[in-house]
Amino acid sequence: MNYAKPLPRISPDNQEFWAGCRRHELLLPFCDACGKPHLPPGPVCPFCFADRLDWRRASGRGVVTSWTVVHKPWFPAFKAELPYNVIQVELAEGPRLTANLVGAANEVLRVGLPVEIVFDDVAPEVTLPRFRPTSLSPPGRGSG
Amino acid sequence: MVLDIRNQAAIVGIGVSPFGRFLPASQLALGATAFKAALEDAGLERRDVDGLSIHLGWPVGIDYDRVAEAFELEIGYVNQTWLHGRFVTQSLQHAALAVATGLASVVACVTAVSFTREREILGGPGDHEGAREEGGTHGEAPVYGLTAPAGGAALAMQRYMARYGATSAELAAVPIALRKHALQNPLAMMKKPLTLDDHQGARMVVDPLRLFDCCLVSDGAAVVLVTTLERARDLKQHPVAITSMQGIRAGRDEFIFAPPGLGINQQPSRPAATPRAADLEVFRRAEVDPKDIAGFYTYDAFSPLVLFALERFGFCAAGEAAQWVQGGRIEPGGELPVNTSGGLLSEAHVGGWNSICEIARQLRGGAGPRQLTDAQHLLWGTAWGDAVLFSRG
Repeated sequence: MNYAKPLPRISPDNQEFWAGCRRHELLLPFCDACGKPHLPPGPVCPFCFADRLDWRRASGRGVVTSWTVVHKPWFPAFKAELPYNVIQVELAEGPRLTANLVGAANEVLRVGLPVEIVFDDVAPEVTLPRFRPTSLSPPGRGSG
Repeated sequence: MVLDIRNQAAIVGIGVSPFGRFLPASQLALGATAFKAALEDAGLERRDVDGLSIHLGWPVGIDYDRVAEAFELEIGYVNQTWLHGRFVTQSLQHAALAVATGLASVVACVTAVSFTREREILGGPGDHEGAREEGGTHGEAPVYGLTAPAGGAALAMQRYMARYGATSAELAAVPIALRKHALQNPLAMMKKPLTLDDHQGARMVVDPLRLFDCCLVSDGAAVVLVTTLERARDLKQHPVAITSMQGIRAGRDEFIFAPPGLGINQQPSRPAATPRAADLEVFRRAEVDPKDIAGFYTYDAFSPLVLFALERFGFCAAGEAAQWVQGGRIEPGGELPVNTSGGLLSEAHVGGWNSICEIARQLRGGAGPRQLTDAQHLLWGTAWGDAVLFSRG
């Protein structure tokens, strides 16, 4: 398999996040002291500066807080998908993730769209989180 | 004792190279042209320059040591930043601080860039910003195909439009106004009028930003010479005094291309709170009423940044800028002309220094057909909150 698109930059601070994605689990670093989760993953809690972080599973649900559709062929590897969307999602737990909306046309993009996570195994060692509109799934069932 | 920065420093010389796309001259050659012009303008010699403040160094521009070597300068104070437009104000502020504290007597702010030859770095596989361990500063997400500064500006404008009901046709008033300014400036690259139909009919780049919402990708150089206001009074040109300034804002409330509280990246999403007292310090320090600002100059890499800057500095209320800029308000002859030489959108992208040079021309009374009447105070202020207030010295 030859995946030509950019891959995530795995760092000491975010490796748990990407390892979780590989297992189809959305993990967030929760602060042991104040209890808040944060993104992007940092070495300390950005709210209370405490050192101990506890990686725990998040709901994978959220709402679109902003979006764009890319029309310019910046990346040769994305050219076949133009125009493609990029969204920011505010997770139910608070922090925001940047990803794509899948399973729906770009026309449904709007601020406030409820979404849930899906996991896309794009390469043998890499799984990307993406989102689909929540209404597409049967009631009471999440994914991942 | 704390040094009071008010009226310590002044711009005493400006120089520019020709601006264009795919210019045959090297970055250093463009820089030499602008450097010579600035010295001539100020009536200074190379040996008078003992400080360098380099905005947009590698990888799109030249570095301080090469400038010093190539132009045979004896330098004892240096500040240098890389690539990003957000460092324009602090490059100027370093120059002012250096002369005010005696670290240097004359600082040359040098920006000499070839964006066209280095354009691979501005987005796509060659854009290394998003691949850094801590990611890019414009919301880059190359894994998902979001690259280049335009992506961050698009995310911010999209949410701004959803929150306030602003439209692309309203946003068009920004590039249309800047084009009108540019048409009065022979140095400007853009020579034809821009209509609303042109704007709306142009290709979408990254929704909602259309072609004319994105700045020029150009080559050029600008040099601005800064010394003390006291010394400036003995030099060739009427001094352009740096009356006051305030620094860049950073923290959880800030995303480089969004107003505080908009909710981009990890910004808390809050009801709009601008203008905040911290964003208006520059006026308070200067003891200048915002109503006495004859023209506003800002970093207009993308048209939304002009809206966000107008709101941050309180020229209009939060969420109202898209309506506020209608009806010619920021055009030539308007209530608050913005970027009167055409800005990055229509003059050239020289990191904003083309606008700094224009401020100096205006305050000296040398802006020709686009001269503002009674220009005593002009404000440079960016969407990310730093500012320099200039006055006729």
